[in-house]
Amino acid sequence: MKLGNTSSAGYKTKGMEQKERRLAFILIAPAVLYLILVMGLPLLWAVYTSLTDKVIGAAEVNFIGLANYIDIIKDPVFQKALLNTFIFAFFAVLGKVVFGVIMSLTMNQPLRGRGVIRVAMILPWTIPTIVSVFAWQWIYSDVGGALNRILMVLHITDHQIGWLSTTNMAMFSVILVNVWRGTPFIAISVLAGLQNISPDLYEAASLDGANVIQRFLYVTLPSVKNVIILAAFVTTIWTLNDFEIVWLMTRGGPSHATELVSTYSYIQGFMNSDIARSIAASLILVPILVVLVHYVTKSSLSEE
Amino acid sequence: MRTSVKSKITAYAVAAVLIIFCLFPIYWMLITSLKTSTEIYKIIPTFWPKKLTFEGYYELFAEKGFLRNVLNSLFVSLVVSFGSIAVSMPAAYAIARIKFRGRKKISKGILISYLMPRTVLFIPLYLLVTRIGLSNSLWGLILVYPTITIPYATWMMISYFQSIPYDIEEAAIIDGCSRVQAMWKVCFPLAKPGIVSTLIFSYTLCWSEYLYALVIINNSDYKTIPLALADMVVGDVYAWGPLMGGSLIASVPVVIIYLISNRNLVGGLTAGGVKG
Repeated sequence: MKLGNTSSAGYKTKGMEQKERRLAFILIAPAVLYLILVMGLPLLWAVYTSLTDKVIGAAEVNFIGLANYIDIIKDPVFQKALLNTFIFAFFAVLGKVVFGVIMSLTMNQPLRGRGVIRVAMILPWTIPTIVSVFAWQWIYSDVGGALNRILMVLHITDHQIGWLSTTNMAMFSVILVNVWRGTPFIAISVLAGLQNISPDLYEAASLDGANVIQRFLYVTLPSVKNVIILAAFVTTIWTLNDFEIVWLMTRGGPSHATELVSTYSYIQGFMNSDIARSIAASLILVPILVVLVHYVTKSSLSEE
Repeated sequence: MRTSVKSKITAYAVAAVLIIFCLFPIYWMLITSLKTSTEIYKIIPTFWPKKLTFEGYYELFAEKGFLRNVLNSLFVSLVVSFGSIAVSMPAAYAIARIKFRGRKKISKGILISYLMPRTVLFIPLYLLVTRIGLSNSLWGLILVYPTITIPYATWMMISYFQSIPYDIEEAAIIDGCSRVQAMWKVCFPLAKPGIVSTLIFSYTLCWSEYLYALVIINNSDYKTIPLALADMVVGDVYAWGPLMGGSLIASVPVVIIYLISNRNLVGGLTAGGVKG
Protein backbone atom coordinates (compact mmCIF):
# COMPACT_ATOMS: atom_id res chain seq x y z
CA MET A 1 0.00 0.00 0.00
CA LYS A 2 1.17 3.47 -0.84
CA LEU A 3 0.82 6.42 1.40
CA GLY A 4 1.80 9.00 -1.17
CA ASN A 5 -0.64 10.86 -3.35
CA THR A 6 -1.34 13.74 -1.01
CA SER A 7 0.22 16.51 -3.01
CA SER A 8 1.21 19.51 -0.96
CA ALA A 9 0.69 21.91 -3.81
CA GLY A 10 1.74 25.50 -3.52
CA TYR A 11 -1.81 26.82 -3.28
CA LYS A 12 -2.09 25.71 0.31
CA THR A 13 -1.29 28.16 3.04
CA LYS A 14 -0.08 27.31 6.52
CA GLY A 15 -3.53 27.94 7.97
CA MET A 16 -5.13 25.63 5.44
CA GLU A 17 -2.74 22.85 6.30
CA GLN A 18 -3.54 23.19 9.96
CA LYS A 19 -7.25 23.09 9.14
CA GLU A 20 -6.70 19.97 7.05
CA ARG A 21 -4.91 18.29 9.92
CA ARG A 22 -7.74 19.10 12.30
CA LEU A 23 -10.21 17.72 9.75
CA ALA A 24 -8.19 14.52 9.42
CA PHE A 25 -8.44 13.96 13.16
CA ILE A 26 -12.20 14.51 13.08
CA LEU A 27 -12.55 12.04 10.22
CA ILE A 28 -10.55 9.27 11.82
CA ALA A 29 -11.75 9.88 15.39
CA PRO A 30 -14.88 7.63 15.37
CA ALA A 31 -13.04 4.60 13.97
CA VAL A 32 -9.97 5.04 16.15
CA LEU A 33 -11.96 5.77 19.32
CA TYR A 34 -14.11 2.70 18.73
CA LEU A 35 -11.10 0.47 18.22
CA ILE A 36 -9.39 1.84 21.33
CA LEU A 37 -12.48 1.52 23.52
CA VAL A 38 -13.87 -1.80 22.31
CA MET A 39 -10.67 -3.55 21.27
CA GLY A 40 -7.63 -1.94 22.88
CA LEU A 41 -8.83 -1.36 26.43
CA PRO A 42 -10.61 -4.73 26.85
CA LEU A 43 -7.45 -6.39 25.61
CA LEU A 44 -5.30 -4.53 28.14
CA TRP A 45 -7.79 -5.31 30.85
CA ALA A 46 -7.66 -8.96 29.83
CA VAL A 47 -3.88 -8.98 30.07
CA TYR A 48 -4.22 -7.62 33.60
CA THR A 49 -6.90 -10.20 34.43
CA SER A 50 -4.60 -13.00 33.33
CA LEU A 51 -2.29 -11.93 36.17
CA THR A 52 -5.06 -12.37 38.76
CA ASP A 53 -7.05 -15.29 40.16
CA LYS A 54 -10.39 -14.14 38.72
CA VAL A 55 -13.07 -16.77 38.16
CA ILE A 56 -16.59 -16.12 36.87
CA GLY A 57 -18.86 -15.03 39.70
CA ALA A 58 -16.15 -14.49 42.33
CA ALA A 59 -16.17 -11.12 44.08
CA GLU A 60 -12.60 -11.07 45.30
CA VAL A 61 -9.80 -10.84 42.80
CA ASN A 62 -6.15 -11.00 43.80
CA PHE A 63 -3.04 -10.19 41.84
CA ILE A 64 -1.00 -13.36 41.53
CA GLY A 65 1.58 -12.44 38.90
CA LEU A 66 2.53 -15.08 36.39
CA ALA A 67 1.04 -17.96 38.40
CA ASN A 68 -1.65 -18.67 35.80
CA TYR A 69 0.89 -18.90 33.03
CA ILE A 70 3.11 -21.20 35.08
CA ASP A 71 0.14 -23.41 35.99
CA ILE A 72 -0.89 -23.71 32.39
CA ILE A 73 2.56 -24.52 31.12
CA LYS A 74 2.77 -27.29 33.72
CA ASP A 75 -0.62 -28.69 32.69
CA PRO A 76 -0.05 -31.79 30.49
CA VAL A 77 -3.30 -31.11 28.64
CA PHE A 78 -2.09 -27.65 27.72
CA GLN A 79 1.29 -29.00 26.62
CA LYS A 80 -0.57 -31.39 24.37
CA ALA A 81 -2.79 -28.57 23.10
CA LEU A 82 0.24 -26.42 22.32
CA LEU A 83 1.97 -29.23 20.43
CA ASN A 84 -1.29 -30.05 18.61
CA THR A 85 -1.70 -26.40 17.64
CA PHE A 86 1.72 -26.39 15.99
CA ILE A 87 1.08 -29.73 14.26
CA PHE A 88 -2.34 -28.55 13.09
CA ALA A 89 -1.01 -25.22 11.84
CA PHE A 90 2.09 -26.67 10.20
CA PHE A 91 0.35 -29.37 8.20
CA ALA A 92 -2.71 -27.27 7.42
CA VAL A 93 -0.62 -24.36 6.12
CA LEU A 94 1.65 -26.72 4.19
CA GLY A 95 -1.38 -28.40 2.62
CA LYS A 96 -3.03 -25.10 1.77
CA VAL A 97 0.13 -23.68 0.19
CA VAL A 98 0.80 -26.79 -1.93
CA PHE A 99 -2.79 -27.19 -3.08
CA GLY A 100 -3.24 -23.43 -3.34
CA VAL A 101 -0.30 -23.08 -5.73
CA ILE A 102 -1.56 -26.01 -7.82
CA MET A 103 -5.04 -24.50 -7.82
CA SER A 104 -3.77 -21.07 -8.86
CA LEU A 105 -1.76 -22.58 -11.73
CA THR A 106 -4.91 -24.39 -12.88
CA MET A 107 -6.98 -21.23 -12.57
CA ASN A 108 -4.43 -19.41 -14.71
CA GLN A 109 -4.56 -21.93 -17.58
CA PRO A 110 -6.53 -20.85 -20.65
CA LEU A 111 -9.02 -23.70 -20.19
CA ARG A 112 -12.52 -23.69 -21.58
CA GLY A 113 -15.00 -22.52 -18.96
CA ARG A 114 -12.27 -20.82 -16.94
CA GLY A 115 -14.74 -18.48 -15.23
CA VAL A 116 -16.88 -21.37 -14.03
CA ILE A 117 -13.81 -23.33 -12.95
CA ARG A 118 -12.58 -20.41 -10.85
CA VAL A 119 -15.96 -19.90 -9.20
CA ALA A 120 -16.26 -23.61 -8.38
CA MET A 121 -12.81 -23.61 -6.80
CA ILE A 122 -13.47 -20.51 -4.72
CA LEU A 123 -16.76 -21.81 -3.26
CA PRO A 124 -15.23 -23.55 -0.19
CA TRP A 125 -13.72 -20.23 0.88
CA THR A 126 -17.00 -18.35 0.53
CA ILE A 127 -19.38 -20.48 2.56
CA PRO A 128 -19.50 -19.89 6.33
CA THR A 129 -16.96 -21.98 8.29
CA ILE A 130 -19.68 -23.57 10.37
CA VAL A 131 -21.36 -24.81 7.19
CA SER A 132 -18.20 -26.45 5.90
CA VAL A 133 -17.72 -28.06 9.30
CA PHE A 134 -21.14 -29.71 9.27
CA ALA A 135 -20.89 -30.76 5.65
CA TRP A 136 -17.61 -32.54 6.39
CA GLN A 137 -18.82 -33.97 9.66
CA TRP A 138 -21.62 -35.61 7.73
CA ILE A 139 -19.19 -36.90 5.12
CA TYR A 140 -16.99 -38.38 7.87
CA SER A 141 -19.96 -39.92 9.70
CA ASP A 142 -19.62 -43.56 10.83
CA VAL A 143 -23.23 -44.22 9.87
CA GLY A 144 -24.28 -43.19 6.38
CA GLY A 145 -21.08 -41.22 5.80
CA ALA A 146 -20.03 -40.66 2.22
CA LEU A 147 -16.25 -40.92 2.63
CA ASN A 148 -16.16 -44.45 4.04
CA ARG A 149 -18.62 -45.52 1.37
CA ILE A 150 -16.53 -44.04 -1.45
CA LEU A 151 -13.33 -45.62 -0.14
CA MET A 152 -15.07 -49.00 0.21
CA VAL A 153 -16.57 -48.86 -3.28
CA LEU A 154 -13.11 -48.06 -4.64
CA HIS A 155 -11.67 -50.93 -2.54
CA ILE A 156 -9.22 -48.62 -0.81
CA THR A 157 -10.41 -49.84 2.57
CA ASP A 158 -12.55 -52.79 3.61
CA HIS A 159 -13.75 -51.46 6.97
CA GLN A 160 -15.35 -48.29 8.31
CA ILE A 161 -12.74 -45.73 9.36
CA GLY A 162 -13.59 -43.66 12.44
CA TRP A 163 -12.45 -40.38 10.92
CA LEU A 164 -13.31 -38.26 13.93
CA SER A 165 -13.72 -40.89 16.62
CA THR A 166 -10.25 -42.45 16.66
CA THR A 167 -7.23 -40.70 18.10
CA ASN A 168 -4.96 -41.42 15.16
CA MET A 169 -7.35 -40.17 12.45
CA ALA A 170 -9.04 -37.20 14.15
CA MET A 171 -6.16 -34.75 13.66
CA PHE A 172 -5.84 -35.66 10.00
CA SER A 173 -9.58 -35.19 9.51
CA VAL A 174 -9.77 -31.71 11.05
CA ILE A 175 -6.68 -30.63 9.11
CA LEU A 176 -8.30 -31.80 5.88
CA VAL A 177 -11.34 -29.60 6.55
CA ASN A 178 -9.11 -26.62 7.25
CA VAL A 179 -7.17 -27.28 4.03
CA TRP A 180 -10.40 -27.65 2.04
CA ARG A 181 -11.63 -24.31 3.35
CA GLY A 182 -8.41 -22.31 3.19
CA THR A 183 -6.85 -23.43 -0.10
CA PRO A 184 -8.80 -20.98 -2.29
CA PHE A 185 -7.42 -18.02 -0.30
CA ILE A 186 -3.85 -18.97 -1.23
CA ALA A 187 -4.94 -19.74 -4.78
CA ILE A 188 -6.57 -16.35 -5.35
CA SER A 189 -3.62 -14.51 -3.80
CA VAL A 190 -1.09 -16.37 -5.94
CA LEU A 191 -3.27 -16.03 -9.04
CA ALA A 192 -2.95 -12.25 -8.78
CA GLY A 193 0.83 -12.72 -8.84
CA LEU A 194 0.71 -15.17 -11.75
CA GLN A 195 -1.28 -12.72 -13.83
CA ASN A 196 1.53 -10.21 -13.37
CA ILE A 197 4.20 -12.40 -14.96
CA SER A 198 5.07 -11.29 -18.44
CA PRO A 199 4.52 -13.98 -21.13
CA ASP A 200 7.86 -12.93 -22.64
CA LEU A 201 9.63 -14.59 -19.73
CA TYR A 202 8.07 -17.96 -20.56
CA GLU A 203 8.81 -17.52 -24.24
CA ALA A 204 12.44 -16.76 -23.53
CA ALA A 205 12.64 -19.79 -21.23
CA SER A 206 11.04 -22.00 -23.88
CA LEU A 207 13.52 -20.81 -26.49
CA ASP A 208 16.31 -21.70 -24.10
CA GLY A 209 14.86 -25.22 -24.04
CA ALA A 210 13.36 -25.15 -20.54
CA ASN A 211 10.72 -27.82 -19.94
CA VAL A 212 7.49 -27.35 -17.96
CA ILE A 213 9.07 -28.13 -14.61
CA GLN A 214 12.08 -25.91 -15.27
CA ARG A 215 9.81 -23.06 -16.36
CA PHE A 216 7.86 -23.47 -13.13
CA LEU A 217 11.00 -23.55 -10.97
CA TYR A 218 12.95 -20.75 -12.68
CA VAL A 219 10.23 -18.41 -13.97
CA THR A 220 6.95 -18.94 -12.11
CA LEU A 221 8.16 -19.65 -8.61
CA PRO A 222 10.60 -16.73 -8.24
CA SER A 223 7.94 -14.34 -9.55
CA VAL A 224 5.29 -15.37 -7.05
CA LYS A 225 7.59 -16.22 -4.16
CA ASN A 226 6.78 -13.08 -2.20
CA VAL A 227 3.04 -13.33 -2.55
CA ILE A 228 3.15 -17.01 -1.55
CA ILE A 229 5.13 -16.17 1.59
CA LEU A 230 2.81 -13.30 2.49
CA ALA A 231 -0.32 -15.39 1.93
CA ALA A 232 1.22 -18.24 3.93
CA PHE A 233 1.94 -15.87 6.84
CA VAL A 234 -1.60 -14.48 6.83
CA THR A 235 -2.96 -18.03 6.70
CA THR A 236 -0.68 -19.09 9.55
CA ILE A 237 -2.11 -16.32 11.74
CA TRP A 238 -5.63 -17.58 11.01
CA THR A 239 -4.76 -21.26 11.33
CA LEU A 240 -2.97 -20.90 14.68
CA ASN A 241 -6.20 -19.42 15.95
CA ASP A 242 -8.66 -21.80 14.42
CA PHE A 243 -11.43 -22.68 16.83
CA GLU A 244 -14.62 -23.50 14.99
CA ILE A 245 -13.51 -26.53 12.99
CA VAL A 246 -12.07 -28.42 15.94
CA TRP A 247 -14.61 -27.28 18.51
CA LEU A 248 -17.60 -28.26 16.40
CA MET A 249 -16.18 -31.50 15.06
CA THR A 250 -14.42 -33.10 18.02
CA ARG A 251 -14.58 -30.73 21.02
CA GLY A 252 -10.82 -31.31 21.15
CA GLY A 253 -11.22 -35.06 21.55
CA PRO A 254 -11.03 -37.98 21.44
CA SER A 255 -8.94 -37.86 24.64
CA HIS A 256 -7.41 -34.47 23.69
CA ALA A 257 -6.09 -35.80 20.38
CA THR A 258 -7.24 -32.62 18.62
CA GLU A 259 -7.10 -30.25 21.61
CA LEU A 260 -5.81 -26.87 20.45
CA VAL A 261 -4.80 -23.81 22.46
CA SER A 262 -8.05 -22.15 21.36
CA THR A 263 -10.31 -25.00 22.48
CA TYR A 264 -8.32 -25.36 25.71
CA SER A 265 -8.81 -21.66 26.37
CA TYR A 266 -12.54 -21.88 25.64
CA ILE A 267 -12.96 -24.87 27.97
CA GLN A 268 -11.07 -23.12 30.79
CA GLY A 269 -13.20 -20.01 30.48
CA PHE A 270 -16.65 -21.29 29.68
CA MET A 271 -16.76 -24.82 31.06
CA ASN A 272 -14.55 -24.35 34.14
CA SER A 273 -15.38 -20.64 34.67
CA ASP A 274 -11.66 -19.95 35.11
CA ILE A 275 -11.49 -16.70 33.18
CA ALA A 276 -7.96 -15.76 34.21
CA ARG A 277 -6.45 -19.05 33.09
CA SER A 278 -8.49 -18.93 29.95
CA ILE A 279 -7.06 -15.55 28.98
CA ALA A 280 -3.56 -16.62 29.93
CA ALA A 281 -3.89 -19.60 27.57
CA SER A 282 -5.18 -17.45 24.73
CA LEU A 283 -2.33 -14.97 25.18
CA ILE A 284 0.45 -17.54 25.12
CA LEU A 285 0.59 -17.60 21.31
CA VAL A 286 0.68 -13.81 21.10
CA PRO A 287 4.50 -13.54 20.82
CA ILE A 288 4.41 -15.75 17.72
CA LEU A 289 1.50 -13.76 16.34
CA VAL A 290 3.35 -10.49 16.91
CA VAL A 291 6.23 -11.71 14.75
CA LEU A 292 3.86 -12.84 11.99
CA VAL A 293 1.74 -9.69 12.13
CA HIS A 294 4.85 -7.54 12.08
CA TYR A 295 6.03 -9.25 8.92
CA VAL A 296 2.64 -8.94 7.25
CA THR A 297 2.23 -5.25 8.10
CA LYS A 298 5.78 -4.54 6.98
CA SER A 299 5.32 -6.11 3.57
CA SER A 300 1.79 -4.75 3.11
CA LEU A 301 2.75 -1.20 4.03
CA SER A 302 6.05 -0.86 2.18
CA GLU A 303 5.27 -1.42 -1.41
CA GLU A 304 7.07 1.37 -3.15
CA MET B 1 2.95 -29.57 -30.33
CA ARG B 2 2.58 -32.93 -28.62
CA THR B 3 3.76 -31.56 -25.32
CA SER B 4 1.19 -28.78 -25.45
CA VAL B 5 -1.66 -31.26 -25.98
CA LYS B 6 -0.31 -33.34 -23.15
CA SER B 7 -0.06 -30.35 -20.82
CA LYS B 8 -3.58 -29.31 -21.76
CA ILE B 9 -4.94 -32.74 -20.83
CA THR B 10 -3.00 -32.61 -17.56
CA ALA B 11 -4.46 -29.19 -16.80
CA TYR B 12 -8.02 -30.40 -17.40
CA ALA B 13 -7.42 -33.50 -15.31
CA VAL B 14 -6.00 -31.48 -12.40
CA ALA B 15 -8.88 -29.02 -12.69
CA ALA B 16 -11.39 -31.87 -12.63
CA VAL B 17 -9.88 -33.41 -9.50
CA LEU B 18 -9.76 -30.06 -7.71
CA ILE B 19 -13.34 -29.24 -8.66
CA ILE B 20 -14.63 -32.59 -7.42
CA PHE B 21 -12.74 -32.05 -4.17
CA CYS B 22 -14.15 -28.51 -3.82
CA LEU B 23 -17.72 -29.24 -4.82
CA PHE B 24 -18.44 -32.68 -3.41
CA PRO B 25 -19.16 -31.50 0.17
CA ILE B 26 -21.51 -28.85 -1.22
CA TYR B 27 -23.24 -31.39 -3.46
CA TRP B 28 -23.53 -33.78 -0.53
CA MET B 29 -25.11 -31.04 1.57
CA LEU B 30 -27.63 -30.26 -1.15
CA ILE B 31 -28.79 -33.82 -1.75
CA THR B 32 -28.93 -34.61 1.96
CA SER B 33 -31.24 -31.65 2.51
CA LEU B 34 -33.58 -33.11 -0.13
CA LYS B 35 -33.62 -36.71 1.11
CA THR B 36 -36.26 -38.31 3.31
CA SER B 37 -34.99 -39.00 6.82
CA THR B 38 -35.29 -42.77 6.32
CA GLU B 39 -32.96 -42.47 3.34
CA ILE B 40 -30.50 -40.25 5.26
CA TYR B 41 -30.10 -42.73 8.12
CA LYS B 42 -29.52 -45.76 5.94
CA ILE B 43 -26.23 -47.52 6.67
CA ILE B 44 -25.26 -47.38 3.01
CA PRO B 45 -25.64 -43.85 1.68
CA THR B 46 -27.16 -43.11 -1.71
CA PHE B 47 -25.37 -40.68 -3.99
CA TRP B 48 -28.56 -39.57 -5.65
CA PRO B 49 -31.79 -39.22 -3.61
CA LYS B 50 -34.38 -41.90 -4.41
CA LYS B 51 -37.19 -39.54 -3.54
CA LEU B 52 -36.92 -35.75 -3.42
CA THR B 53 -38.60 -34.12 -0.45
CA PHE B 54 -38.71 -30.78 1.33
CA GLU B 55 -39.31 -32.55 4.66
CA GLY B 56 -36.03 -31.24 6.06
CA TYR B 57 -36.81 -27.63 5.14
CA TYR B 58 -40.33 -27.97 6.56
CA GLU B 59 -38.90 -29.22 9.85
CA LEU B 60 -36.34 -26.41 9.81
CA PHE B 61 -38.88 -23.61 9.52
CA ALA B 62 -42.04 -25.08 11.04
CA GLU B 63 -40.56 -26.93 14.01
CA LYS B 64 -37.20 -25.34 14.65
CA GLY B 65 -38.27 -21.73 13.97
CA PHE B 66 -35.29 -21.07 11.71
CA LEU B 67 -36.88 -17.89 10.35
CA ARG B 68 -36.24 -16.21 13.72
CA ASN B 69 -32.52 -16.98 13.39
CA VAL B 70 -32.40 -15.77 9.80
CA LEU B 71 -33.99 -12.47 10.86
CA ASN B 72 -31.58 -12.09 13.78
CA SER B 73 -28.58 -12.63 11.49
CA LEU B 74 -30.02 -10.29 8.91
CA PHE B 75 -30.61 -7.54 11.46
CA VAL B 76 -27.18 -7.74 13.08
CA SER B 77 -25.33 -8.03 9.76
CA LEU B 78 -27.17 -5.09 8.20
CA VAL B 79 -26.72 -2.74 11.16
CA VAL B 80 -23.05 -3.63 11.60
CA SER B 81 -22.08 -3.50 7.93
CA PHE B 82 -23.76 -0.13 7.28
CA GLY B 83 -22.54 1.31 10.58
CA SER B 84 -18.98 0.17 9.97
CA ILE B 85 -18.77 1.56 6.48
CA ALA B 86 -20.09 4.91 7.69
CA VAL B 87 -17.27 5.09 10.22
CA SER B 88 -14.62 3.55 7.96
CA MET B 89 -15.09 5.74 4.89
CA PRO B 90 -14.09 9.07 6.46
CA ALA B 91 -11.23 7.41 8.34
CA ALA B 92 -9.92 5.77 5.19
CA TYR B 93 -10.28 9.05 3.29
CA ALA B 94 -8.20 10.90 5.86
CA ILE B 95 -5.48 8.24 5.79
CA ALA B 96 -5.43 8.07 1.99
CA ARG B 97 -5.58 11.79 1.22
CA ILE B 98 -4.54 14.04 4.08
CA LYS B 99 -1.04 14.37 5.48
CA PHE B 100 -1.05 14.41 9.24
CA ARG B 101 1.22 13.25 12.04
CA GLY B 102 0.72 9.64 13.05
CA ARG B 103 -0.87 8.65 9.76
CA LYS B 104 1.45 5.70 9.25
CA LYS B 105 1.01 4.57 12.84
CA ILE B 106 -2.74 4.65 12.53
CA SER B 107 -2.82 2.70 9.30
CA LYS B 108 -0.51 0.14 10.86
CA GLY B 109 -2.78 -0.03 13.90
CA ILE B 110 -5.74 -0.68 11.66
CA LEU B 111 -3.97 -3.50 9.87
CA ILE B 112 -2.94 -5.02 13.19
CA SER B 113 -6.50 -4.91 14.48
CA TYR B 114 -7.62 -6.50 11.21
CA LEU B 115 -5.21 -9.39 11.82
CA MET B 116 -6.06 -9.66 15.54
CA PRO B 117 -7.41 -13.18 16.02
CA ARG B 118 -10.84 -13.69 17.48
CA THR B 119 -9.56 -16.42 19.79
CA VAL B 120 -7.45 -13.80 21.57
CA LEU B 121 -10.28 -11.27 21.72
CA PHE B 122 -13.30 -13.38 22.57
CA ILE B 123 -12.87 -13.38 26.35
CA PRO B 124 -12.05 -9.66 26.65
CA LEU B 125 -15.10 -8.90 24.52
CA TYR B 126 -17.26 -11.30 26.50
CA LEU B 127 -16.19 -9.54 29.71
CA LEU B 128 -16.89 -6.13 28.19
CA VAL B 129 -20.35 -7.08 26.94
CA THR B 130 -21.31 -8.71 30.27
CA ARG B 131 -20.00 -5.72 32.22
CA ILE B 132 -22.22 -3.27 30.35
CA GLY B 133 -25.22 -5.58 30.47
CA LEU B 134 -25.55 -6.41 26.78
CA SER B 135 -25.05 -10.15 26.97
CA ASN B 136 -27.92 -12.15 25.54
CA SER B 137 -28.90 -9.33 23.27
CA LEU B 138 -28.40 -8.63 19.61
CA TRP B 139 -27.00 -5.24 20.63
CA GLY B 140 -24.12 -7.06 22.29
CA LEU B 141 -23.22 -8.52 18.90
CA ILE B 142 -23.73 -5.16 17.25
CA LEU B 143 -21.28 -3.64 19.74
CA VAL B 144 -18.48 -6.16 19.12
CA TYR B 145 -18.79 -7.14 15.44
CA PRO B 146 -17.32 -3.84 14.24
CA THR B 147 -14.03 -5.00 15.77
CA ILE B 148 -14.02 -7.31 12.75
CA THR B 149 -15.61 -5.07 10.14
CA ILE B 150 -14.18 -1.58 10.85
CA PRO B 151 -10.52 -2.60 10.44
CA TYR B 152 -11.42 -4.66 7.37
CA ALA B 153 -13.52 -1.93 5.74
CA THR B 154 -11.05 0.84 6.53
CA TRP B 155 -8.15 -1.15 5.17
CA MET B 156 -10.04 -1.91 1.96
CA MET B 157 -11.25 1.67 1.48
CA ILE B 158 -7.74 3.12 1.90
CA SER B 159 -6.53 1.21 -1.15
CA TYR B 160 -9.70 2.03 -3.12
CA PHE B 161 -9.33 5.74 -2.47
CA GLN B 162 -5.66 5.60 -3.40
CA SER B 163 -6.50 3.94 -6.69
CA ILE B 164 -8.60 6.98 -7.63
CA PRO B 165 -6.56 9.76 -9.26
CA TYR B 166 -6.17 12.70 -6.92
CA ASP B 167 -6.24 15.35 -9.69
CA ILE B 168 -10.02 15.51 -9.86
CA GLU B 169 -10.38 16.34 -6.19
CA GLU B 170 -7.49 18.78 -6.36
CA ALA B 171 -9.20 20.57 -9.25
CA ALA B 172 -12.44 20.70 -7.26
CA ILE B 173 -10.60 22.20 -4.28
CA ILE B 174 -8.89 24.82 -6.44
CA ASP B 175 -12.33 25.65 -7.87
CA GLY B 176 -13.47 26.52 -4.36
CA CYS B 177 -14.77 23.25 -2.98
CA SER B 178 -13.97 22.63 0.67
CA ARG B 179 -12.09 19.47 1.54
CA VAL B 180 -15.24 17.88 2.95
CA GLN B 181 -17.18 18.70 -0.21
CA ALA B 182 -14.40 17.23 -2.35
CA MET B 183 -14.52 14.07 -0.30
CA TRP B 184 -18.30 13.79 -0.32
CA LYS B 185 -19.07 14.93 -3.85
CA VAL B 186 -16.01 13.79 -5.79
CA CYS B 187 -14.14 10.97 -4.07
CA PHE B 188 -16.98 8.93 -2.56
CA PRO B 189 -19.07 8.78 -5.76
CA LEU B 190 -15.99 7.68 -7.72
CA ALA B 191 -15.27 4.96 -5.17
CA LYS B 192 -18.81 3.64 -5.25
CA PRO B 193 -18.01 0.14 -6.63
CA GLY B 194 -15.36 -0.31 -3.96
CA ILE B 195 -17.69 0.95 -1.25
CA VAL B 196 -20.44 -1.44 -2.31
CA SER B 197 -18.19 -4.49 -2.38
CA THR B 198 -16.62 -3.60 0.97
CA LEU B 199 -20.11 -3.23 2.39
CA ILE B 200 -21.27 -6.63 1.24
CA PHE B 201 -18.12 -8.38 2.38
CA SER B 202 -18.52 -6.77 5.79
CA TYR B 203 -22.03 -8.17 5.72
CA THR B 204 -20.79 -11.70 5.03
CA LEU B 205 -18.22 -11.46 7.85
CA CYS B 206 -21.04 -10.84 10.35
CA TRP B 207 -23.35 -13.36 8.73
CA SER B 208 -20.81 -16.19 9.20
CA GLU B 209 -19.50 -15.25 12.65
CA TYR B 210 -19.76 -17.99 15.30
CA LEU B 211 -17.34 -17.60 18.24
CA TYR B 212 -18.46 -14.19 19.53
CA ALA B 213 -22.11 -15.15 19.13
CA LEU B 214 -21.41 -18.38 21.02
CA VAL B 215 -20.10 -16.59 24.10
CA ILE B 216 -22.50 -13.63 24.02
CA ILE B 217 -25.87 -15.19 23.16
CA ASN B 218 -27.54 -17.92 25.21
CA ASN B 219 -31.21 -17.14 24.79
CA SER B 220 -32.66 -19.00 21.81
CA ASP B 221 -34.73 -15.94 20.82
CA TYR B 222 -31.57 -14.08 19.89
CA LYS B 223 -29.56 -16.85 18.29
CA THR B 224 -28.05 -16.15 14.89
CA ILE B 225 -27.87 -18.70 12.07
CA PRO B 226 -24.50 -20.26 13.05
CA LEU B 227 -25.71 -20.79 16.64
CA ALA B 228 -29.00 -22.28 15.46
CA LEU B 229 -27.13 -24.71 13.20
CA ALA B 230 -24.84 -25.77 16.05
CA ASP B 231 -27.93 -26.31 18.23
CA MET B 232 -29.25 -28.91 15.81
CA VAL B 233 -26.59 -31.22 17.17
CA VAL B 234 -27.78 -32.63 20.49
CA GLY B 235 -25.15 -34.84 22.01
CA ASP B 236 -24.45 -37.48 19.40
CA VAL B 237 -27.74 -36.96 17.58
CA TYR B 238 -27.51 -34.98 14.38
CA ALA B 239 -30.63 -33.79 12.57
CA TRP B 240 -28.81 -34.07 9.23
CA GLY B 241 -31.77 -33.17 6.99
CA PRO B 242 -32.63 -29.79 8.56
CA LEU B 243 -28.97 -29.18 9.41
CA MET B 244 -27.91 -29.49 5.78
CA GLY B 245 -30.92 -27.45 4.64
CA GLY B 246 -30.09 -24.69 7.11
CA SER B 247 -26.42 -24.80 6.09
CA LEU B 248 -27.41 -24.34 2.49
CA ILE B 249 -29.65 -21.41 3.35
CA ALA B 250 -26.77 -19.86 5.32
CA SER B 251 -24.47 -20.23 2.30
CA VAL B 252 -26.75 -19.00 -0.47
CA PRO B 253 -26.59 -15.23 0.18
CA VAL B 254 -22.84 -15.32 0.72
CA VAL B 255 -22.21 -17.33 -2.43
CA ILE B 256 -24.42 -15.01 -4.50
CA ILE B 257 -22.49 -12.02 -3.21
CA TYR B 258 -19.18 -13.61 -4.18
CA LEU B 259 -20.50 -14.48 -7.61
CA ILE B 260 -21.64 -10.92 -8.25
CA SER B 261 -18.53 -9.15 -7.04
CA ASN B 262 -15.97 -11.55 -8.34
CA ARG B 263 -13.03 -9.20 -8.02
CA ASN B 264 -11.15 -8.24 -4.88
CA LEU B 265 -11.99 -11.51 -3.24
CA VAL B 266 -9.10 -11.67 -0.88
CA GLY B 267 -9.53 -8.31 0.74
CA GLY B 268 -6.29 -6.75 -0.46
CA LEU B 269 -4.32 -8.40 2.32
CA THR B 270 -1.76 -9.94 0.05
CA ALA B 271 -1.80 -7.29 -2.66
CA GLY B 272 1.44 -5.86 -1.26
CA GLY B 273 3.23 -9.09 -2.06
CA VAL B 274 2.21 -9.12 -5.70
CA LYS B 275 4.53 -6.36 -6.83
CA GLY B 276 7.62 -7.20 -4.83
